[in-house]
Amino acid sequence: MLLPKFEYHDPGKLTEACRLMAELGQGARLLAGGTDLLVNMKKSLVRPQHVVSLGRIPELASLKKEGRRIRIGSCVNIADIAREPVISERLTALSEGALSLGSPLIRNLATIGGNIVTARPAADMPPPLIAYGAKIKLQKKGKSRTIPLDAFFTGPGSTVLEHGELLSEIMIEMPSSLSGASYIKLGVRKALEISLASAAAFIRLDSPEGRIKDARIALGSVAPTPLRSRSAEEVLLGECPSPALFTKASEEAARDARPIDDFRGSAEYRRDMVKVLTRRALDKALKRAIENQEK
Amino acid sequence: MKRLIKTNINGKVMELAVNPGQTLADLLRYELGLTGTKKGCEMGECGSCTVLMDGRPVNSCLVLAVRVDGRSITTIEGVEADSGLHPIQKAFVEHGAIQCGFCSPGMILSAKSLLEGNPSPDQVEIRTAISGNLCRCTGYQKIVEAIASVAHKGVKNE
Ligand code: FES
Ligand code: FES
Repeated sequence: MLLPKFEYHDPGKLTEACRLMAELGQGARLLAGGTDLLVNMKKSLVRPQHVVSLGRIPELASLKKEGRRIRIGSCVNIADIAREPVISERLTALSEGALSLGSPLIRNLATIGGNIVTARPAADMPPPLIAYGAKIKLQKKGKSRTIPLDAFFTGPGSTVLEHGELLSEIMIEMPSSLSGASYIKLGVRKALEISLASAAAFIRLDSPEGRIKDARIALGSVAPTPLRSRSAEEVLLGECPSPALFTKASEEAARDARPIDDFRGSAEYRRDMVKVLTRRALDKALKRAIENQEK
Repeated sequence: MKRLIKTNINGKVMELAVNPGQTLADLLRYELGLTGTKKGCEMGECGSCTVLMDGRPVNSCLVLAVRVDGRSITTIEGVEADSGLHPIQKAFVEHGAIQCGFCSPGMILSAKSLLEGNPSPDQVEIRTAISGNLCRCTGYQKIVEAIASVAHKGVKNE
């Protein structure tokens, strides 16, 4: 299967990549891991005249912890996210998301930034990232801005990215003690699966037996974009965790969901599953929050 | 316009002129004659095109050849030693883990990468490691048994 003809650019600097994107105009596409772009090019869904590879830009491939913040370059691959000890220990839901994406072969190529900018409602990185309150840095020639990830998506495949703008970095504040999170994906098989529905939950308690100080619930595959369930969060905030409270929050999450019918599952089934998944994600998050008190 | 790249393929450093639109799978098969790397779906779904890039298994149908500049690639042709088949290859033969053989290069490379990082994987780890490699013949059980048998013996004796 041949790829359509294009011109290839591989800048070594971020500023150069931004300049190229500004100059080359609409016919240019960014290439990170290639697991999405190359497939779409083979299927002739996109026919870029220029492909700008980000693979030679060192700062986009770095993952570092600075004080209480972790900064992940947009071209860090999913396998490296899954195997990074800081992430598996402190940002467990993010490594759960990484390990459920694609297959081991795909994870060695696909990047965290690619999984975000393609803006698929079923993508596995956005729900856990939104649950952790991640921010993203968007850069274009002569301008950069930082926005919360949950303000990035506008529809399936569409985002607030402006022409020539690229995602350079994902930033997460390390969760403090007494906080925990979890990501659960529902599919019919374990690898290379596009989820039917998924849920990520994050909670922080004010004391071991205390109330919920912070809560974020994010859902995948049940709306045109990854979806934050504010109503579920409102139910949780300021309350003491209990099975009844979690059930109520999960029902709210199911109400916020706007699923569709497709060949993978019906909207009704998906909505029911949002309730189950949110409930389970909350149970796990609470368990982890309690275990996480000594640190 | 073609580009010059320098890459290490199965231990040999090569300088090659490649087309930007050429995938690594096509470079290996059509330019270098390394046809052990198979092409099934060409969409990243079957794993028959698996090669090791800097030791890690990837779908070579989704890697542009220009991207392997400065990297090292191992294909199934690079797994066999002068002394004969690699222990993983032997185990596949002995356990009947090969029927038509189309998935075998990819399966063996995924298994090799697993065993190098984790010499005694459990069943779940083995099944996860080959979860991007589809087999239409064996039903996987014999492949899992073959990998487990090498895991117990160790893979050192190349
Ligand atoms: S041919 Fe590459 S994954 Fe199928
Ligand atoms: S042996 Fe035929 S595809 Fe696996």
